[in-house]
Amino acid sequence: MSESVKIVEKKHVPSEATMIVGLPDVGLVGLIATSYLISELNLEEIAYLDSDLLPPVVVLHKGLPHAHKGLPHAPLRIYGNQNLIAVISELAVPAPAIYPIMREIVEWGQAKKVKRIVSMGGIPVESRQAIKEPQVFGAASNQELLDMLSKSGLNIMNEGYMVGPQALSMRYSINKNVPAIAILAQSFYNYPDPQAAAIALKELSKISDVKVDVSKLLEKGEEIRLKARDIMKRTQEEMTRMKKSQEYDLPLYV
Amino acid sequence: MSEKPRKRSTFDTMNEHLEEFDELADELMESAFPEGPSWNTETCCLQALSNVFITSREVIVTADLPNIEPETVKVEAVDETLIEITAKMKKKVRFADLGICHRQGEFSSLRCQDRVHVAVDAEKMKISFKGGVLEVRFPRKKRYEIEVE
Repeated sequence: MSESVKIVEKKHVPSEATMIVGLPDVGLVGLIATSYLISELNLEEIAYLDSDLLPPVVVLHKGLPHAHKGLPHAPLRIYGNQNLIAVISELAVPAPAIYPIMREIVEWGQAKKVKRIVSMGGIPVESRQAIKEPQVFGAASNQELLDMLSKSGLNIMNEGYMVGPQALSMRYSINKNVPAIAILAQSFYNYPDPQAAAIALKELSKISDVKVDVSKLLEKGEEIRLKARDIMKRTQEEMTRMKKSQEYDLPLYV
Repeated sequence: MSEKPRKRSTFDTMNEHLEEFDELADELMESAFPEGPSWNTETCCLQALSNVFITSREVIVTADLPNIEPETVKVEAVDETLIEITAKMKKKVRFADLGICHRQGEFSSLRCQDRVHVAVDAEKMKISFKGGVLEVRFPRKKRYEIEVE
């Protein structure tokens, strides 16, 4: 367990659950998708992440499911029900903190015997505004999962770099032998992309029991884009620090 | 009777330099302290997210403009390298609409300013607006081609 990062459990944490991770990243796809999931499935806050590597921030919310009005919350929180665990951050995770945080999340998931870890995120595409329906790509930590994604009709990301939370989720999950999947929708790089989040959620429903109606998410798209400007801006600064643009590079393996 | 052109005084030159200095200082302050809010209650503006891409032939500025009336989009070259984009929102947004009760103010437009760092020909700009994202393409003003011997 990492000493610099601690997961504090508030309620019973289920075992054998699917763990969805949606940290701020490209187009905030993972964060928007996972937050929507939490709100639609009325998931309960079961734990939070504490670390001196994070800025000294608490967030006050009146509208959180099961929360007392206006009480402070940790920005990096874990929600759940009997079958599902969802991790979100309302804070752009500082680039140097992403390693211990992802390591702790994966190790905690392993301790809770999660069925699999699913990282939701975006793939930046330059011509996003010209794309009507973004495509979704999948990656997996083992061949069996990759075959499952392929059979479910998901495009497989065969070649390329992954950078950031999804990359570390995959790397640490392989180390710990925890099954892991990444679901990545084509999205804007630094504009919040609720449509990409909705499409990623549709694909998630094809490969899991997690099913939500995304129509409300699409309806609220403009409102989300207005509200998400600040966290997108700060996330962009952190993406620059973690060299996120390497995802545009072509890998070399001769 | 034609008016005799006034000779530029040393004070005119100094004023001009002082104005340039002020502009530079503003720019430096913006880059040194980017922590300012993304809203301005005096101008009733929310800051729009934007991007600048510079290619060898053109400069492409994009801006995320949710909740706006497309016909109110205004793109203005403040000077040869500073572009300002403004657009009126379909309906005003108050802090209270965003669930915030410890601040007061309402916003009626989105605005962004981008320094493009190369001279552009603003008169030949091409504008498109798709899915709430504005794209403005400016041809670059000067291109030098050196022939390879």
